[in-house]
Amino acid sequence: MSTSLFRKKMIRILLLVFLISFISNSLLSQVLTDTQKEREEIFVARIKQFNEFADRFNLKTDFNGNIADSVFRAKMPRERMIPLLFDLKDPRIQMSGKEYSEAYTRTKEEFVEEVTKKNILLYKYSPGIIAEARSRVIYKGAPRQVRLFLGQEITGNNSVKWVILSAKGDILNIFKTDTSMVRFIPPSSNETDFINLKRALEDTDYLQYYASQDYKPDLLTLFFYYIKAGIIKYEYVEEVVYHIIDIPGWYIKVKEFNRNELNSGWLITDVMKNELDLPAFIRNL
Amino acid sequence: MLKKILITGLILSVNLCITAQETKTAVTSKQAKITDEINLSDADIEVFKEQTKQKVEEFQQYIVTLGNKDEPAEKRNMAEKEALKLFYKGAEMEISTVMPDGTVQKVNRPMEKYLARLKSLPYTKVIIKFYDIAYIREFTKGPDGKYYSTATIIQEFTGFSDDNIIYTDITKKEIEIIIDIVEDTFFHEKRWKIFLGDIKATETKAAVS
Repeated sequence: MSTSLFRKKMIRILLLVFLISFISNSLLSQVLTDTQKEREEIFVARIKQFNEFADRFNLKTDFNGNIADSVFRAKMPRERMIPLLFDLKDPRIQMSGKEYSEAYTRTKEEFVEEVTKKNILLYKYSPGIIAEARSRVIYKGAPRQVRLFLGQEITGNNSVKWVILSAKGDILNIFKTDTSMVRFIPPSSNETDFINLKRALEDTDYLQYYASQDYKPDLLTLFFYYIKAGIIKYEYVEEVVYHIIDIPGWYIKVKEFNRNELNSGWLITDVMKNELDLPAFIRNL
Repeated sequence: MLKKILITGLILSVNLCITAQETKTAVTSKQAKITDEINLSDADIEVFKEQTKQKVEEFQQYIVTLGNKDEPAEKRNMAEKEALKLFYKGAEMEISTVMPDGTVQKVNRPMEKYLARLKSLPYTKVIIKFYDIAYIREFTKGPDGKYYSTATIIQEFTGFSDDNIIYTDITKKEIEIIIDIVEDTFFHEKRWKIFLGDIKATETKAAVS
């Protein structure tokens, strides 16, 4: 790259840093008008991929995706960068709005402070990053939604793959709850070679009550069965949301905001404290 | 002679079976093992990142040419053919459209069909522009030994009827990038090559007048 080209690029990045740093939330959508050059600036500022979100969170790269140098780090330290990774249109942080939440604003500030002071980085291939693929399926001729949760698995030779961890959705909730009746297989049934089993298994909506008290239906197996048996047809992913518990004590939710503004792309849409371990967290999603 | 033909046929059908089993998400264990044993160094990956930019630019140039109705038909056909050569076999284009009720509908097309449609759009003139910037994430090795990345680009599309703009949109495209080992049949040697894979296109701004 020639020196003049490099200098031009640097000036552009610094201008963008200046613009992003000094812009106030309410002005975000107004400052830039709609010319191509400005749209290009928005494209540069936009967090285009989840990978870029992680790199900006860790202050690994500048807005052009190049390794962040000392000049960039000085202009845009993490305590300034991380607040810009939040959805700045969240009504909970609009002080003048009806939905303003002081508690959420405080939590957000506490999160930024802890992450920057302790210099906590986000590990891209962490098992604590769970992608939720909200998927459209066709069930009994009508479109329905199934939520598939995926995690990354590091296999031999440092290769990485995404794996399906669990599935959730109304169509996978095959049992009903009923507290008005006590359902069970009587204690002496064994002596009659479990004649009662037929009766129990005809009670199709409430089969779970005939299982152990520790029984938890495996919805992913049920989903796989539905697909294999042709009961549901998988169409496509409607939306992806990331649930991140890689940062000790915290949970952040990241989703894509497809808008023509500097504050767009993959942004933090929620932050809260988290004490759950990974299996419990996935169960609670 | 008949025996020879039968054996050749059997070998061919076995080969076809093996090829049929290989998809974008599944390769034979043998193939994966061979590729997995060869690793790219960080320096190699940096070189490939640079080459990815060139491949993406090459694809953009073909799109501009095949969409341009002022270009001669032979040149546009050639652009379509050359653009397809950049892609991994079976690559698809997924187009998302935001419906008036805010829901998103997606349509998947094989890359061949997408390019053919682009060439024959019902406008008298088409202008396709790309921003001269792209974002390319770092390459990560997959369990099949290939290296994967994604490039993000922005495309501006304008369709004219005579001199009037009748459709315009700005689309963000995420292009899957795959580095795979291919055999050079001429030199009988294996080498790494960059391919483009599936593309996810999301409309970021549209206006129909």
